[in-house]
Amino acid sequence: MELRRYILKRLVQITIIFFVILTVLFLLFRLAPGDPVSRMVDPDMTPEDAEQLIHQLGLDKPLGIQYLVYLKNFFTGHFGISFHYGEPVVDVIWNRLPNTILLFTTSIILSALVGIFLGKIASWHKGEKTDSVMTIGALVTHTLFLPWLALILIWVFGYKLGWFPINGMISEEVWLDPDAGFIAKGLDIGYHMILPLTTLFLIHFGAYLLIMRSSMLETLKEDYILTARAKGLEEKDIRDRHAAPNAALPVVTSVGLSLAFSINGGALTETVFTWPGIGRELVFSVSQNDYPLAQASFLLIAIVVLISNLVVDVLYAYLDPRIRY
Amino acid sequence: MSTINSKGKKGKVMNRIHGRSRCIWNKWSVLFVCVAILLGVFLAGSASQAADMLKVGLLEEPKSLNVWRASDRWSWKVLGMIYQPLYVRDPETLDLVPWLAAEAPELDADTLSYTVKLRPAKWSDGTAFTSEDVAFTARLINEFEIPRYRYKWQFVDKIETPDPQTVRFYLKEPKAIFVPRSLTIPIAQKKQWAPIVEQAKKTEKPLSTLLNHKMEKPIGCGPFVLEEWRSGAYLYLKKNEQFFGSGKEINGRALGPHIDGLLFKVFGTSDAAVLAMKKGSIDFFWWGVQSGYMDDLRQNRDIRLFTSERSALYYMGFNVRRPPFNDPHLRRAAAMLIDEDFILNRILQGYGIKMHSLVPPGNVYWYCPDVPRHGEGLDREGRIKKAYEILQKAGYTWEVPPVDESGDVVKGEGIRLPDGKSMEKFTILTPPADYDPHRAMCGMMMQEWFRMLGIPAYSKPTAFGSLLEQVKVKHDFEAFVLGYGRLSLDPDYLRTFFLSRNDKRRGWNMSGYHNPDFDRIADKSAETMVRAERRELIWEMQKILMRDVPYIPLYNPKLVEAVRAERFKGWVEMLGGVGNIWTFCELQPK
Amino acid sequence: MAEETFRTETKGMERYPGLTAFLEGWGIFRQSLLGKIGLVLLIMFALMALCSYIPPLIDPMYNPMTGVDPVITCSTGPSRAHWLGTDFMGRDILSQLLAGARVAFMVGVSAAFMSIVLGTAIGMTAGYMGRFMDTFLMRLADMIMVMPTLLVVLILAAVFGQLNIWTIVLIIALFRWPGVSRIIRGQTLSLKQRPFIEAAKVAGASHVRIIFRHIMPNVLPLAFLFMTFRVTSAIIIEAALAFLGFGDPGTVSWGMMLQWVWKTGHMFKAPYWLLPPGICISLITLSFYMLGRAMDEVLDPRLRKEDQTD
Repeated sequence: MELRRYILKRLVQITIIFFVILTVLFLLFRLAPGDPVSRMVDPDMTPEDAEQLIHQLGLDKPLGIQYLVYLKNFFTGHFGISFHYGEPVVDVIWNRLPNTILLFTTSIILSALVGIFLGKIASWHKGEKTDSVMTIGALVTHTLFLPWLALILIWVFGYKLGWFPINGMISEEVWLDPDAGFIAKGLDIGYHMILPLTTLFLIHFGAYLLIMRSSMLETLKEDYILTARAKGLEEKDIRDRHAAPNAALPVVTSVGLSLAFSINGGALTETVFTWPGIGRELVFSVSQNDYPLAQASFLLIAIVVLISNLVVDVLYAYLDPRIRY
Repeated sequence: MSTINSKGKKGKVMNRIHGRSRCIWNKWSVLFVCVAILLGVFLAGSASQAADMLKVGLLEEPKSLNVWRASDRWSWKVLGMIYQPLYVRDPETLDLVPWLAAEAPELDADTLSYTVKLRPAKWSDGTAFTSEDVAFTARLINEFEIPRYRYKWQFVDKIETPDPQTVRFYLKEPKAIFVPRSLTIPIAQKKQWAPIVEQAKKTEKPLSTLLNHKMEKPIGCGPFVLEEWRSGAYLYLKKNEQFFGSGKEINGRALGPHIDGLLFKVFGTSDAAVLAMKKGSIDFFWWGVQSGYMDDLRQNRDIRLFTSERSALYYMGFNVRRPPFNDPHLRRAAAMLIDEDFILNRILQGYGIKMHSLVPPGNVYWYCPDVPRHGEGLDREGRIKKAYEILQKAGYTWEVPPVDESGDVVKGEGIRLPDGKSMEKFTILTPPADYDPHRAMCGMMMQEWFRMLGIPAYSKPTAFGSLLEQVKVKHDFEAFVLGYGRLSLDPDYLRTFFLSRNDKRRGWNMSGYHNPDFDRIADKSAETMVRAERRELIWEMQKILMRDVPYIPLYNPKLVEAVRAERFKGWVEMLGGVGNIWTFCELQPK
Repeated sequence: MAEETFRTETKGMERYPGLTAFLEGWGIFRQSLLGKIGLVLLIMFALMALCSYIPPLIDPMYNPMTGVDPVITCSTGPSRAHWLGTDFMGRDILSQLLAGARVAFMVGVSAAFMSIVLGTAIGMTAGYMGRFMDTFLMRLADMIMVMPTLLVVLILAAVFGQLNIWTIVLIIALFRWPGVSRIIRGQTLSLKQRPFIEAAKVAGASHVRIIFRHIMPNVLPLAFLFMTFRVTSAIIIEAALAFLGFGDPGTVSWGMMLQWVWKTGHMFKAPYWLLPPGICISLITLSFYMLGRAMDEVLDPRLRKEDQTD
């Protein structure tokens, strides 16, 4: 009962927060000094053409009306037309979203799994060389500057060794080939994903490793572990069956809490590897003053962040009965 | 990251080696390498491709294949293969030659009309190309007032189509730009566009409906036709079997296309494209190669580099509406100070040509060789002395003059305007170094040169959007460095850039240059339809502009393009690079 | 009058538990290996930042932004005149690197300082005022905390066009205060129950006076320990922003250097240019991170659940 009230309360809060973001975003973009038309240095563009385009884009209406149109459009699922592509923003985003989800979730799951696995080992060998190497390694990879790491990977594996493709997500040889089946195409995407995935993985797994390690160390001090030891269970069993599942909980929640960090990293990775996803689109739309697209991509990210935080909180409250709100 | 903490005192016990963990590391790395190798082998095996497909690397993805919306160069690289104009430029003389038209346009001076005979041709869907299509395109532009096209057509009064192979255009007033600009626009198919136009007209905002129409399969008369567009990756164009030039000789050139297909691959970054070039997975990178890659590519024997001139203009502009640059003497002194040789040799590293006038010298017919040249042949000191002389005569004074009594150049200080006020600090706006290192660098050097004369200049790299906002919309600036990368070959821009009435918000006349004499000559040039007479006027305009220097031309960068030499031959070099319609029509597999 | 001052001072020792905690903490900190490595690295970077003033004095060609070598016009490898080589227009990479250290410190420390000040003020207000104010400020903190700061700054860059380095610092500070304010709020809540606050209230001190005279001195040491976390995120965000091409084009930062090497196409050719800025950003992040962890040990267990997103 309490949990349900808590969820309800958080839902109301999130709705309010979302409206605040929606409005702030609107005001920001309307108060912006520049407009997309002013960026054009095209000698073929007359001032009359520019004024006409501004009119067609609906940028010359009073602010209040623009806001209402904006809200109406938002709730009817029309995020407007991208200034740049001339296509509905929704289409552009739908097109890019699966690519982002693919890269993003794969990297998070992979790094969390490896992080948990290695963290467990590190905690088990606490104070030994294995532990030191892992902890320091995790710290170092976690603090690497992501774009630089990406460039280094490109330089080493793309250029020097020439093993992996360094941009995009498909190669035309495979996709133009009528004989290529589903598996071939899937493998092609996987092949292109190796470098971006490695980048994200290297940056993220260290954090999970460290969390897992300390969480595991704490769990091992708990009474029930002591009991299990007293019962004479094998150490391996204690570690894998009893301690690890409980110790992994903070890792799961930290995935949610560090989402903002991961999203920043995702956008940077997509940009460097020209992975056609939302993050790259956002960076690109910002540089092109494509307001509707920038706005919609940002809103989407905000929604994802807010909802996943809610999910994490609820999950935590549900899984850990000690926490009550 | 949240909740990271470790409480182990690590680093104290380091001497015990644990075999187990080593074994785990090995397991992981072995697995990783295995997967990578498997994938590599698999893909290498699956790489099969059509032999005669030309692969072209693009930096960015085309934004739209709607011919009326497309404004970015990437879209046009693709659309240029599909939509064709009536006349194109000869690669050597740059004169107009009939393309979809059968012969040169005929002018009837009495009725002020042009008659154009059309070549028999077919659209890629097999229907005939007729005068109706031409008339439809022109009417569509005028009816919807399509940006970028409208000013080329709004002076056309009516269009007649006496027969399917003939179009006649009646002009409201004489216009010099009609043939070179209006008749070189791409022609759209009536059959495909008429229903879209009807739909658009019914909506509240017809123009934006038309511009936002998503064109999936554009139909054109060009040598290639769009087969597949995979967003974010590539565009595949097939040879157009209906192409009117196939197997014919036009303008003395045997046209193909001799290749089966054209693949545009989107790279997103130059390094990826250059790498693909080196590996041979693209045949042509349709973009200027940056200096950083040049040595590497030059050493590669399979790669051929073409260096071509561009129709471009990079310049420094002044705000002549307000002090200090409302004084032509100061602008002339500035022009005197600018060391073009330094810019060419040091900043462009030799990949550029000197601009004496605002028309690039490569545009041979319109370029006026006989304009005032500021400080040509002088060294740094000589330039400073000359500039000092100009300013001194105009009434400028210094606390410490830049040339001392014995005639030596020293660092000047405390310059005062002729009215006795000291000159205030001003900024030279340039694009940021990553957008264009050359322009940013020019701004920096300008700052140094100005300061030698005691002029308090500050170069300020500014994000491109806000630079334009300040210069073009707000007119709130003193000086800037900008450029036009794709200047039309017709010199009408000289007129529009400096006409008094174009000095308005978003107007072309960014400097705010006002000169009634210039306006008069410029307007006359727009109405002069006899080419030789017009040239006299255009030359006169160039002379006036180089005397008053609202813009100082800085340089015209050369374009270096890379192609794979071993698979195709027949690249046609032209102003603006090898990526032109002639190349794509004539290119042959080796 | 003099007696009065003296009395407050002697009393101060017991009244400011934060200060004694700080001194005790230093003792623990000195034993941490990570802390020591971090500190050494940090001192090295500080020296770099100080040294950045030297090259331009030797020769104007060593000016990181405007100086170009009189002979070299393109990117060349290390040489006697340029220990780390030159960039695409013949500017000295070493002096850019040193200037980058200065910018990193400037950005990191000032953004951290601002966010600490803001976070402390908000945390104290929320903790002390309680009720509606508390809820409102903490929900605001929640909202801001989950936003990906880099993308927020990107959006602002889109809106305002050019951001200069101080605007970037200010924006980072505006978005990175919530973590601090939560901790400070917690501290304030516990302080509020202490007898000396009650005493001040009875004596008729105003809220403002209580916050600034009695609570602030007690939470400040804690707040400053927190700066280390904030410094890292500010440096990374600035670097990433510059790397994407939305930095201040008038400054030479490490992110800017990476952007130059990437955008001018020297990435495959010039490892001497690609490696140093990236190593520097990574190492400075690492050093602050190690310091942070050492402090974590110091402050443990009170701050164990401290959030440190990006």
